[in-house]
Amino acid sequence: MPTVCIKWQKQVFPGIEIDTSQPPMVFKTQLYTLTGVPPERQKIMVKGGILKDDTDWSTLGLKDGQKLMMIGTADEIVKAPEKGPVFVEDLPEEEQAAALGHSAGLYNLGNTCYMNSTLQCLHSVPELKSALLSYSDNVRGNGVDQASHSLTVATRNTFGELDQSVRPVAPLHFLQMLRKKYPQFAQQQNNVYMQQDAEECWTQLIYTLSQTLTSEASEPAAAQMKELFGIDLVSRVHCAESGEESSEAESVYSLKCHISHDVNHLHEGLKHGLKTELEKVSPSLGRTAIYTRESRINELPRYLTVQFVRFFWKRESNQKAKILRKVDYPLELDVYDFCSDELKLKLQTPRQVLRDAESAKFGLKVEVKTSSSQNIEGSLTSAGESSSIDIDKADSSVPKKQLTGIYDLIAVLTHKGRSADSGHYVGWVKQDDGKWIEFDDDNPSIRKEEEILKLSGGGDWHMAYICLYKARVI
Amino acid sequence: MISLQVEDLDLLVEHVDSTNYKRTCLYLTSSSRFLPSPDDTLALDIAYTIYMKFEDLASALRIALLLDNKSIQYVKQVYTATDDLVLKKQFSYIIARHGLAMEIDDEIAADENDKEMLQEIVNNTKLSEGYLTLARDIEVMEAKSPEDIYKVHLIDGRGASSSLDSARQNLAATFVNAFVNAGFGQDKLMTAPSDSSSSGSSGNWLFKNKEHGKASAAASLGMILLWDTDSGLAQLDKYLHSTDTHVVAGALLGIGVVTCGVKNDCDPALAILMEYVNKDDSNIRIGAILGLGIAYAGSQKDELRVQLSAILGDPQATLEVLVFTAVALGLVFVGSCNEEIAQSIIFFLMERSEAELAEPIIRLLPVALGLLYLGKQESVEATAEVSKTFDEKIRKYCDVTLMSLAYAGTGNVLKVQKLLGICSQHLEKGETHQGPAVLGIALIAMSEELGAEMAVRSLERLLQYGEQNIRRAVPLALGILCISNPKVNVMDTLSRLSHDADADVSMAAIISLGLIGAGTNNARIAGMLRNLSSYYYKEAAHLFCVRIAQGLVHLGKGLLTLSPYHSDRFLLSPMALGGIVTVLHACLDMKSTILGKYHYILYIIVLAMQPRMLLTVDEDLKPLPVPVRVGQAVDVVGQAGRPKTITGFQTHTTPVLLAAGERAELATDKYIPLTSTLEGFVILKKNPEYHEE
Repeated sequence: MPTVCIKWQKQVFPGIEIDTSQPPMVFKTQLYTLTGVPPERQKIMVKGGILKDDTDWSTLGLKDGQKLMMIGTADEIVKAPEKGPVFVEDLPEEEQAAALGHSAGLYNLGNTCYMNSTLQCLHSVPELKSALLSYSDNVRGNGVDQASHSLTVATRNTFGELDQSVRPVAPLHFLQMLRKKYPQFAQQQNNVYMQQDAEECWTQLIYTLSQTLTSEASEPAAAQMKELFGIDLVSRVHCAESGEESSEAESVYSLKCHISHDVNHLHEGLKHGLKTELEKVSPSLGRTAIYTRESRINELPRYLTVQFVRFFWKRESNQKAKILRKVDYPLELDVYDFCSDELKLKLQTPRQVLRDAESAKFGLKVEVKTSSSQNIEGSLTSAGESSSIDIDKADSSVPKKQLTGIYDLIAVLTHKGRSADSGHYVGWVKQDDGKWIEFDDDNPSIRKEEEILKLSGGGDWHMAYICLYKARVI
Repeated sequence: MISLQVEDLDLLVEHVDSTNYKRTCLYLTSSSRFLPSPDDTLALDIAYTIYMKFEDLASALRIALLLDNKSIQYVKQVYTATDDLVLKKQFSYIIARHGLAMEIDDEIAADENDKEMLQEIVNNTKLSEGYLTLARDIEVMEAKSPEDIYKVHLIDGRGASSSLDSARQNLAATFVNAFVNAGFGQDKLMTAPSDSSSSGSSGNWLFKNKEHGKASAAASLGMILLWDTDSGLAQLDKYLHSTDTHVVAGALLGIGVVTCGVKNDCDPALAILMEYVNKDDSNIRIGAILGLGIAYAGSQKDELRVQLSAILGDPQATLEVLVFTAVALGLVFVGSCNEEIAQSIIFFLMERSEAELAEPIIRLLPVALGLLYLGKQESVEATAEVSKTFDEKIRKYCDVTLMSLAYAGTGNVLKVQKLLGICSQHLEKGETHQGPAVLGIALIAMSEELGAEMAVRSLERLLQYGEQNIRRAVPLALGILCISNPKVNVMDTLSRLSHDADADVSMAAIISLGLIGAGTNNARIAGMLRNLSSYYYKEAAHLFCVRIAQGLVHLGKGLLTLSPYHSDRFLLSPMALGGIVTVLHACLDMKSTILGKYHYILYIIVLAMQPRMLLTVDEDLKPLPVPVRVGQAVDVVGQAGRPKTITGFQTHTTPVLLAAGERAELATDKYIPLTSTLEGFVILKKNPEYHEE
């Protein structure tokens, strides 16, 4: 009976006797007691391979003190989990879109980047999407022409396609409808459709949608466009010479940022845009006089559109020339300064609440205040009560949130090139997860926040033309 | 000394004395690289004789290893020239690093215990232990996850992390994890104990891979436990009992990987893998066959020849099984010039139908054939002649591959010229042999610095004027020329090419960035790859390549090298070169190999993986920390006096890492090293003349 030495993993078991008259199974059971490895899983290396259960010991020529190696574990055998993981590659297309984290691009159908970028920017407004969804195919409101109706339907369908597809979408139908409603977009030069002004497209589209989506007065969706994008302005027209003063109110869909030599920042540009001078006949003086017109915001929208007035009509070259001046814009815009006193009062409470919430986030205690702020606190509590009543009221009807006058940038439409009717338009849209996507026609790519702020102009790179801000609400 | 160059080399042996023999031999060995064929062996022979005469046996051994047709005979002479057991241990370490399969017989060591001890060193049994000593000393034992390598937080925004698993990204993570934690025995995906009790450890990650991806995942365990056969085999064993054929195939491949370069008297890998070689499932067969090829590369085991050749004649086997069998044979018999195997591969090639020859995987057959003649120069000619009778689809491809492999690492200028000539031809449509020709230029020229520099310049030309199929191979060629040696100019070229409009060029460039930075942790390449990962975040194939390259750059957390050259760039390990060549030839058609279902080919690179360390041990082979100076190597050939051999050095305490082009010397007189080249394991002896001050 030879004695052998068994090596198993890092252990060595010396002096194990093999009863060569017994089958190898007996030896394996011997090892089982030593190592705990079941015999069927033991692999013992002998001359010529692995020791089989029917091997005859005598053929192996074992010597005393020979080293044998045994491999095997008592570990649990790996089993496949019952539910395997789902791989992106296996998913149908629609679900891949969701996994991708952003929606698809739009094909350029021949100088239609102005339209694509506009659509992508507006596509980032979820309220608009839901409003469109509730718009039905066949019900056409009063006073809405067929062209507007089909444009609205086309917008709805295009947005739907964008949400579902991974591959770029060709907005053929939308383009057709747009050109039908607004023939100026079908302008041709040398038999090629011309590049158009994206701002015009934006304005017209918003206008059409405000017509169609508000037309069904019975729906709760009514006045939605107005609430979403409309800005109410009150203007005071004043004549310095005669001391005449009058006031007028209007509703617009975008704020203009005028760019002159001393404008370096959006804030200054907006201020300029709200203050204009005009010449008109003064009834008291009986001649034309210079009037100043100062506008103030009286009501804020959920989504604030800011247009940079970058283009002016250049008579000598007969085209819309571009102002390349660098105008910085913030990621967070505060329009409090531009509001009317009435609105300012309304904004005070929500702003305070927002500020408190923010300082609480930074770990500052709201309660600990200097005595000077006592009265503010007093007003706060009373205002708080009233607002809570407001909320109670709101709960019964539509949950309404309060605006604060603070806006966050969510989309930028940029232009690259020297005139509005040439060059290239691109939409840059912020996603829910904070990432920015550049929608360059059919090719979306991820961008960083710094890159967005670099679109402020001052060179030949893309520069912001329209900025879409979303209200921060409480 | 110059007069020797004329003809009277033999006279040298008489005339050198103990003061100048080192310089003489250095001159002889380095000039031998530039000598035409019979003269170079002669010069080396003389150098060997001189070393033997002055009893510089370790140096003599290195030359013996270089003269590979007389290796075994000379190596034995070196062993028998001394009775010092410690010195014999040092010899064994050198042989182990070179990977020469050698049996220690009674002539070398009479005593049974000594014999066993020496054989253990030759078998590389202690490699894992030494490597882990180094890792512990450098404090890099903690396992790294693929995310630690990707460093997504530095790219901000572009990580595109999705909540869903992507099979391809998970596969990439599997490889990155395997490469980074290679040899450490622990990682965060495969060996980490899972907290959920529902499935066994690592089961979770394994099944996050799809189909053949599971094979690579199971095999990655072999890479993680590299060289540690005892625990490696134990951990892989449980996967052999899986019901999933891919998992079993992966486990078999993993067994091959774990025993790569480590031999064992019991031959557990052989015993286990042989059981599976003739199974029905072709995945399992490939796993077992490739595993054998990796585990026994260069061993020239006769049992394997019999078994594997039999498979080549098996009419039942699928084409892929047969191709991998040929590759395995090529690896096991690398540089053996075995006519019998060559014959069977040739027959196999001849019998292929037109349709079969069009399969992308077929390109590995000429490589397998070429491996048999790796570095053997003229010996290939008979086979090359036969290859001219092949189907014209494969004829030129085979011819070029055979030539480039046979002259690999020889620096033969005439062959480089011939290959350049092939690259200058304008091809008829459908011919693909220019790719291997470009690789061949790099393979031949990589032998010495000057030739490599020139090849880099020629490759730049090819890049400018060559056609698309040439341009696709150029990045890979640059990758071999500077493997694990990130030269700035090559890095810049590859960085430029990684943005190339042609997808194949850019993917090859990305992989090559990984190759030149392999195991260096080079921050610049790591940065480039991070940027590429955000640039190509949408292209799944490119991203996969970027991930693989990132894994390679951090190979073994920066402790490993892929360079087939060792001992001061003097010796070329044929197994290592064979592994690299096989992987690169597969990379010539990335879409259908690495990006397809043959990604496990990447594991063949394990043949070239070696720790780039200097570990000093005492006479009992226990680690012995001593101060050493590590600096840039200086070429001192033919210089008068005693010039400094390193420059810009820093003093460290062993174990230390040696970067490409670096050399170490002892900074103390207390010990004497037993070999003049301080690399790998070096045994130190106490200096009897040293007095403590």
